[in-house]
Amino acid sequence: MMETHAQYVDYLPTKEKQETSQELEDTAQQQQILYQKAMNQEQPSVLQQRSTVSKGKYTLNDFQIMRTLGTGSFGRVHLVRSVHNGRYYAIKVLKKQQIVKMKQIEHTNDERRMLKLVEHPFLIRMWGTFQDSNNLFMVMDYIEGGELFSLLRKSQRFPNPVAKFYAAEVVLALEYLHFNNIIYRDLKPENILLDRNGHIKITDFGFAKEVTTVTWTLCGTPDYIAPEVIATKPYNKSVDWWSLGILIYEMLAGYTPFYDTTPMKTYEKILHGRVTYPSFFNSDVVDLLSKLITADLTRRIGNLQNGTQEIKSHPWFSEVVWEKLLSKDIETPYEPPIVSGVGDTSLFDQYPEERLNYGIHGEDPYEALFTDF
Amino acid sequence: MAITSDQKNEIDLFHKQVEIENPSDIIQFGANYFNRRLELQRGFIKKQENFALSKGISLFPNDMAQDPMSTTHRSSSAVNFKSPFVDQDPHSIHSGPHSNNSSSEPFKSNFNVTTESKKRINSPMDPSQSNDDPSAGSNFKRSSPHPSNLSPIPVHFNAERRTSVSGETLQPGNFDDWTPEHYKEKSEEQLKRLEKSIGKNFLFNKLDHDNKRLVINCLEEKHVPKETVIIKQGDQGDYFYIVEDGNVEFIVNDAKVSSSGSGSSFGELALMYNSPRAATVIATSDCILWALDRLTFRKILLGSSFKKRVLYDDLLKSIPVLKSLTTYERAKLADALDTKYYEPDQVIIKEGDVGENFYLIEYGECQVTREDKGLLTTLHKGDYFGEVALLNDLPRQATVTASKKTKVATLGKSGFQRLLGPAVEVLKLNDPTRSSRE
Repeated sequence: MMETHAQYVDYLPTKEKQETSQELEDTAQQQQILYQKAMNQEQPSVLQQRSTVSKGKYTLNDFQIMRTLGTGSFGRVHLVRSVHNGRYYAIKVLKKQQIVKMKQIEHTNDERRMLKLVEHPFLIRMWGTFQDSNNLFMVMDYIEGGELFSLLRKSQRFPNPVAKFYAAEVVLALEYLHFNNIIYRDLKPENILLDRNGHIKITDFGFAKEVTTVTWTLCGTPDYIAPEVIATKPYNKSVDWWSLGILIYEMLAGYTPFYDTTPMKTYEKILHGRVTYPSFFNSDVVDLLSKLITADLTRRIGNLQNGTQEIKSHPWFSEVVWEKLLSKDIETPYEPPIVSGVGDTSLFDQYPEERLNYGIHGEDPYEALFTDF
Repeated sequence: MAITSDQKNEIDLFHKQVEIENPSDIIQFGANYFNRRLELQRGFIKKQENFALSKGISLFPNDMAQDPMSTTHRSSSAVNFKSPFVDQDPHSIHSGPHSNNSSSEPFKSNFNVTTESKKRINSPMDPSQSNDDPSAGSNFKRSSPHPSNLSPIPVHFNAERRTSVSGETLQPGNFDDWTPEHYKEKSEEQLKRLEKSIGKNFLFNKLDHDNKRLVINCLEEKHVPKETVIIKQGDQGDYFYIVEDGNVEFIVNDAKVSSSGSGSSFGELALMYNSPRAATVIATSDCILWALDRLTFRKILLGSSFKKRVLYDDLLKSIPVLKSLTTYERAKLADALDTKYYEPDQVIIKEGDVGENFYLIEYGECQVTREDKGLLTTLHKGDYFGEVALLNDLPRQATVTASKKTKVATLGKSGFQRLLGPAVEVLKLNDPTRSSRE
């Protein structure tokens, strides 16, 4: 648990870093207290001291909009090129009207805030945001290797060590988010990108939320939603550990444990909770999964006395050197075939392009709703 | 849409060439011109291949993966993995001595998992895609025979990208002054019948008696004439329906899939979140329907869930042995409480037994008795018992029996320990009266 705190020091802004490293020189006991305090919510997480303001930093004119990299319920993600430095970025464009119609105003504002706060090697980085009268824009790093989803569907299933590698990087990302009281709530291969070296970047913070106690909103992706969320119970971070279990299962099996033809049938299966493990699953992973994919919160690993540490020291992860993994000092199982420096998009699927109405500044009925952008 | 500078450059180049050569057949000229461009570009990239491979980048992972003419390459190519960790995997296939691997192979050990690729139909337009052609010039090993222990991916699994779903964000803390819009008391006979209609659905069967009645009383009566489209496939859904009287037909993609009559229900997904309707439902006779909207339903559900949560928290706070817990620890316990129901006369804990669980009474009534003293006291909603079991292994000091139908929230010593550590230590550790000299 001690290393846990020390690891994050590298990813904090300089000011906190100095203060925190001072503390870290003290005895291990004090570190324990520090961690315990944070875990007990007696002090706000360090992230709360960071600025989330990003207004007026960019405009549409700073970028040349290129092809679509993905589409969602509220808009699409474009590859863009900075007209200043020639570098490639991804811009997520959200239609205000659609957000309002789908009643996702709060989630959208949370998404921007969370992305602005987090800083971790396995989380996508957001550079800034802006808006016009119809759309919100979020400027993010362009991660060329495509979605883990595409790699998984192409491979059908991952060999045990490969699934373990991606799972381990996800564990570190979730550990960081949870340490900062952020729940992610939408873990799935579609939301995990691979960088040019094959390390993961978790993207799409649409449901990420800072939560110190519990939260209530039903959200996620049907195959991945935890039973307590379906049952309208208050829930917290442990829902992400459930989803991690589903992710590992899907990476190894090629399909999810509760899939069915309709979401309602899937939810019934999730509440019923019976998981069949394919015979080719390694026995360590079956043990880990049975502890992640359990409705009993007193048995769900990650939610227990020793928190994430218990997952990290599970036998399935025994060969993982966590410090090395965090510093990307472990060779990745797959390096995406990328033509460097040219905004190669060959690893992203094609989406039909549509006529863009970006950059209109006129009447905006939703002006008051997204003032942070 | 504005064209990109890369596109413009390409068009400009072509334009220039047309001006220079002034072709009579512009289409043939264009076709030849771009084929030449393609050949040049690919030739250039091919030259870079060995260099790229030595750096661990594969430019042609599937022979023709970079070929813009090929649209099927993605699904028919194999992925090759290195192993960052020791291989303990029973279903990985190692590179054998027969491997015709080139020395530039950057992978430490090879895992071939695309066992299905041979089954795919290769593009007839692209002979170089054939996986069976050893002269295809691949630097990578091809699929091994299908191992018998690997079952194929189930056909019904949706392998497409999955859409995230989300309900409205509601703050259950401020529902106190909210009253359901369509509340209308139903007759006892109607209540019974409707309760039966929704009984099997998981959305309703976890509701307690009062909430189930409340939900049913919030059902709104709707009369629809024959031929009415009640819901339309693809539309946003906000209502769940029960058929009181009449018949309806379900249509998916213009084809009838089923029909149903009185007592049946449809559209329940709309009670969870807004998502496109999966089917069209048409009244095939004049119908009387009961409708329930999501907001009403979720407010009832969340409101009750929230009240329960507040009750748990208050109760846990009121138990002396748990007083020292932090808010965070208490929340963890509250999340993990298990609910149990007891019928009248059912014994919950028995004097002399080894204790494990403690209990909070959500509703009902229990009698505490002892062999030697008879009835000691009666417990009600908000009372608790058995908490001493967390701290010691003494046998139960009394028997607790439900005297009415009783619902309890309960947690055992082992569950407590898994969540927070050994109860004795956790509770002592946090005890503010504990001496700091220890």
